[in-house]
Amino acid sequence: MLLPYSMWLRLSVGLLILALFVPEVQGQASVEPARSDTTIREVEMAPVVVTATRSVKSLEDVAVPTTVVTAATMRQQGAIRLSEVLAALPGLQLFDDHGTGLQVQGFSPDYTLILIDGEPVVGRTAGTLSLDRLAVHGVERVEIVRGPSSSLYGSEALAGVVNLITAAPREEVSGLVDMRAGSFETTDLSATLEGGSSWGGVRLFVNRYASGGYDLAPEDFGQTAPSFVDHTADLRANATVTDRLRLRLGARLAVEDYDGNYATPNRADGGEIRFDDVGQRTDWSLHPEAELRLSDRFRLTGILYGAGYQTKTRHRRQTDGVTTYADDFDQRLLKAETQVDALWSAQHLTTFGGGLQEETLGGDRYDGPTGSPAATQGWAFVQHEWLPSRRVEVSASARLDAHTDYATRLSPKLAVLVRPTERIRLRASIGSGFKAPAFRQLYLSFTNAAAGYSVFGTTRVAEGLSRLEAEGQIDEIFFAPSNLEPIRAEQSVAYNVGGTVDATSWLSVSANAFLNDVTDLIETQPIARKTNGQSVFGYFNLARIYTRGLEAEATARPFEALGLDLASQLELSVGYQFLQARDRAVVDALNEGTVFGRDTNGRDYRLDLSDYGGLFGRSPHSATAQLTYTDAPRDLVVSVRSRWRSRYGYRDLDGNQVANRDDEFVPAYALFDATVTKGVPVPGRLDADLQLGVDNLFDLTRGVLVSSLPGRRLYAALRFSL
Amino acid sequence: MTYISPRFLLFACASLLFLTACDSSDGNDDPVPLNVLTAVDVEADPAVNIDPNSGRPVGNGLYTLFDLDTGSIVLSSSETNLAVREQDSVSTAWDIGFQSTTIIFNGGTSGPGQGTAQLLTEPFSAVTEAPETGYVADGANTSCPAVQTPGGTFPGAPFAICTGSDNGWYNYNPQINLVSPLAGRTIVLTTGEGNFAKVRILSYYQGNPNPPDASVPSRYYTFEYILQPDGTRSFESTTAD
Repeated sequence: MLLPYSMWLRLSVGLLILALFVPEVQGQASVEPARSDTTIREVEMAPVVVTATRSVKSLEDVAVPTTVVTAATMRQQGAIRLSEVLAALPGLQLFDDHGTGLQVQGFSPDYTLILIDGEPVVGRTAGTLSLDRLAVHGVERVEIVRGPSSSLYGSEALAGVVNLITAAPREEVSGLVDMRAGSFETTDLSATLEGGSSWGGVRLFVNRYASGGYDLAPEDFGQTAPSFVDHTADLRANATVTDRLRLRLGARLAVEDYDGNYATPNRADGGEIRFDDVGQRTDWSLHPEAELRLSDRFRLTGILYGAGYQTKTRHRRQTDGVTTYADDFDQRLLKAETQVDALWSAQHLTTFGGGLQEETLGGDRYDGPTGSPAATQGWAFVQHEWLPSRRVEVSASARLDAHTDYATRLSPKLAVLVRPTERIRLRASIGSGFKAPAFRQLYLSFTNAAAGYSVFGTTRVAEGLSRLEAEGQIDEIFFAPSNLEPIRAEQSVAYNVGGTVDATSWLSVSANAFLNDVTDLIETQPIARKTNGQSVFGYFNLARIYTRGLEAEATARPFEALGLDLASQLELSVGYQFLQARDRAVVDALNEGTVFGRDTNGRDYRLDLSDYGGLFGRSPHSATAQLTYTDAPRDLVVSVRSRWRSRYGYRDLDGNQVANRDDEFVPAYALFDATVTKGVPVPGRLDADLQLGVDNLFDLTRGVLVSSLPGRRLYAALRFSL
Repeated sequence: MTYISPRFLLFACASLLFLTACDSSDGNDDPVPLNVLTAVDVEADPAVNIDPNSGRPVGNGLYTLFDLDTGSIVLSSSETNLAVREQDSVSTAWDIGFQSTTIIFNGGTSGPGQGTAQLLTEPFSAVTEAPETGYVADGANTSCPAVQTPGGTFPGAPFAICTGSDNGWYNYNPQINLVSPLAGRTIVLTTGEGNFAKVRILSYYQGNPNPPDASVPSRYYTFEYILQPDGTRSFESTTAD
C-alpha cells in the first residue's frame, strides 16, 4: 500500500462523520422522477450524462452546455488517447505547453478539470495536464461540460469539466486485444479481460503505448518530441452486495519513461553543449466507492479517493555524463467525500454532500525547512433541481471551499432549461468558477543562483524574506509580508445562453453564447530589492481577463433527408467557434490610445482594439467538420474529419506585449484526418476488425511553433474480441 | 484643408521673382528642413565577459557618451582609463549617454550641461515640435514607477527616462530574453548646450536585426534623431546654418 494507513483511517472517520448527517427518511415513491411518456422516449434515445449535475440525467435534460463522445465514436475515429478524442470536437483546442492540454472557451489548460469517473486526475506540469497520458480504452463515454462547474466540483472547474466514464464490466467473460502501429515508430498494444455475473464484475485493462518521437527542427540538435514508452494498468470492479448496497472500485497505474535530448549554446567557444533529458512520470489512483439506497427516495454515496503523481527529471551532459539538472516532484491527494441524493417528490431533487482532502507535495522545489508542504481542504455543496412544469427545469447549486492556504470561497450557480416545444430546448446559466492558487504560487521557495532573484509562494514569503534579511541580502523591502492580504483563488463569473433546435428528424442545430469574466488572476510582483540589485518576487491577485464568444454546431443525416431508407447511414456535422480572449488592462490601454506597434518597416503606429490579437494561443475563429458513413451490411465505417483554426498570436516583437504584427502570429491552418474501419470475418468465436487511418492527411506542420503537429501519420490497427 | 501643389508654389515664386525678387537663398534666416539622422550600433557597455555560470553578459559598468551635434561618440564605454573618462564626462560636449538599458542626459546628476529629457507617448514622426514644459534632469525625476506593487508605488532610480521594463523606452520579455523598444515612444531632450532634440530607439541589438533577435549581441543602440540647433522647439526646419 502506497498510502500511510493513518491517513486513510483519518479520512475514513471523516467519511463516517459525514454519513451521520444523513437524515433518517422513508418513502415509497420511485427513485427516478416521474416523467411524461415523451420524456421517457427521449431518455431512451439520448445519451445519459452525470457530470453536469453529479447524477444520472439524459443529455437532453441538462441545462448547461454538455457534449458527449461515445466509445463507438472514439473507435470509429481511431482515437486512443484523450487528446485525440477532444481535438475533433468543435469549440475545443489543444494547447501545447509542457504537454498537450485543453483550451475550453479560451482558457489555458489549468482551468479545466479532468475527471475519471468523477474523480480528479492529478499531476500538472506548468498548469497542463497532458491529455496524452490518458488512454480511452474501456471508457464508455467522455462528457465535456463547458462553463464553470465549481459549484459542484470546486477548483479548476472554471472553464469546464471533462469526465471519462468507464464502462461497467460486462457479465459474460470476454476479452479484447488491440494492436496498432503507425508513423514515428508509434505502437499501441492493449488487452482487456472482463467478466462477472449478477453479483458484479471485474475488468482489467493493460496497455503499452510507445513512440519514437519526432523532430520538427532537424537543423538543430535535439528532438521536438522525445521517444517514450507508456504503460497503463486499469482495474474496474463492481459488486452488488445487497439490493440496497453497491460497491465500486477503480484503480489505475500509469508509468511513462521518456528519453529526449537538447542543446544549449556554448558561449565559451560559440559551439553548443548537448544534453540528454530523461525522465519518468508515474500517475496512480485508487477509487473505492459505496452506494447505499437508504430508501426509495434517498441514496447515499461514499467515496474514498487517493491519487498521486511523481516525476523524475534528469539532464545529463553528453560529453561527460554529469547530471546538470535533477528535479523530483511528488504530489499526493487523499480525499473522502459523501453525497446524498434526496428525491423529495417528482418535482424536487436535492443533491448535497461534502468532503475532506489532504494534499502533500514533495520535491526539490517545494521542500522547505519545515518539510514538505501539506494542505487540508474541506467543502460542502448542495444542489437543488426543481421541475415546476414538464417544460421547465431549474437547477441551483452552491459550494463552499475552505483551504488552509488560501481564502475561503463560495461558488454559486443557477441553470435553467426551457422546452417551449418538443423540438426546442433553451438553456441559460450563470455561475461562478474558481481555480486554487497553483502549488508554486503557494509553496515555492526559489532563488535563481545564476541570475540572483528570488521567488516565494504566499506561504513562504514571510519566512523567506526574513531569512534573506538576516543574511544581509535585502536592500529595501517595499512592504512587509505581514501587511499582505491572504491570497484568493482566481475566480470567474460566467454566463452561458443557448439552445438546441431539432429542426427535423434529420437536422439538429445548437448554439451557445458565453462570457467569462475573470478576476484575481495571480501574477508575480516584486516585494523587495536585494543588495545585488535583483528583486524578490511574491504572488498577488492582479490581472483581469474576459473570454467571450459563440459556439455553434449542426448535425444532419442527408440519407434521411432524401427519404432514403438505407441500411447505410451518412452523418455530417459542422461546428464553429468565435472567441475573444482579452486582458482588460490591455483593452483599457488600447482604448486610451497608449499602445503602439512597430511594423516590419520600423514605422510606429497607434493600435486600436481591432489590432489586438487577444491572449496568445487563442484563435478568434475555428471550425470543424465531420463526416461518418456507416454501412451496416458490410460492417464498414468511414470517418473523415477536419478542423481549422484562424491565426493566433504567440510572441511579441515590438515591446507592447500584444500580438499585432504578422510575424507575431502562427498562420491559420486546417487539418484533415480519416479512418476506415471494417469487420473482418474470422473463424470461431472471435470477432475481428481492421482499421486504417491517417492523421493530418496533407502533412501540414508549423515547425516548432506547433510542437504537437509532426506531420502526416499513418496507422493500421487490428482488434480481436472474444 | 486647401491643398497647394508644389508646382503652384514654384509658379508663384517665379512670378514674384519676375516682379521683385524671390528671396529664398540670399538671407541667412530662412528655414531649411531638418533631416532625420541615424546613429548605428552605439555600444552601451556590451559584454566583455560572460558569466560562466549564468551566461549573463558582464560589461565594464561604464557609459558611452554621445554627441548629437557631431553624431559621434565622445567617450566609449570601452574606455576604462579613469583620467580620460573624468575629463570627457565633465564637458558639455556630450548630450546623451548609454549603459545597458539606462539612458542619461548631460545635466542634473549625470553631467554639467543643461541636459533634461522627457518621454512622450507619441510616434517619432508625430512630434513636430518639442513640448514647452515637462523636462526633468537626471536625479530629479520623482515620478518613476520603478516598482509597482499591491502595497503601492515605490519611486525607483530618478533618471529622466525611467529605468525598468515598460517604465521607460523598452520592454523586457523574460520568456525569450528580448529587450524591445516600445513603439510609439519618443524621447525629447535638451542637449548639453540647451538645444532641443528628439530620439527614437530602433534597436538594442548589434546590426539592428529585423525582427528583433535576442541571440545577437546586445547593448548596441541604433537610434534616429533630429537635433534643432537654433534653440527653437521646431523639429521641422531650422534657421541655423
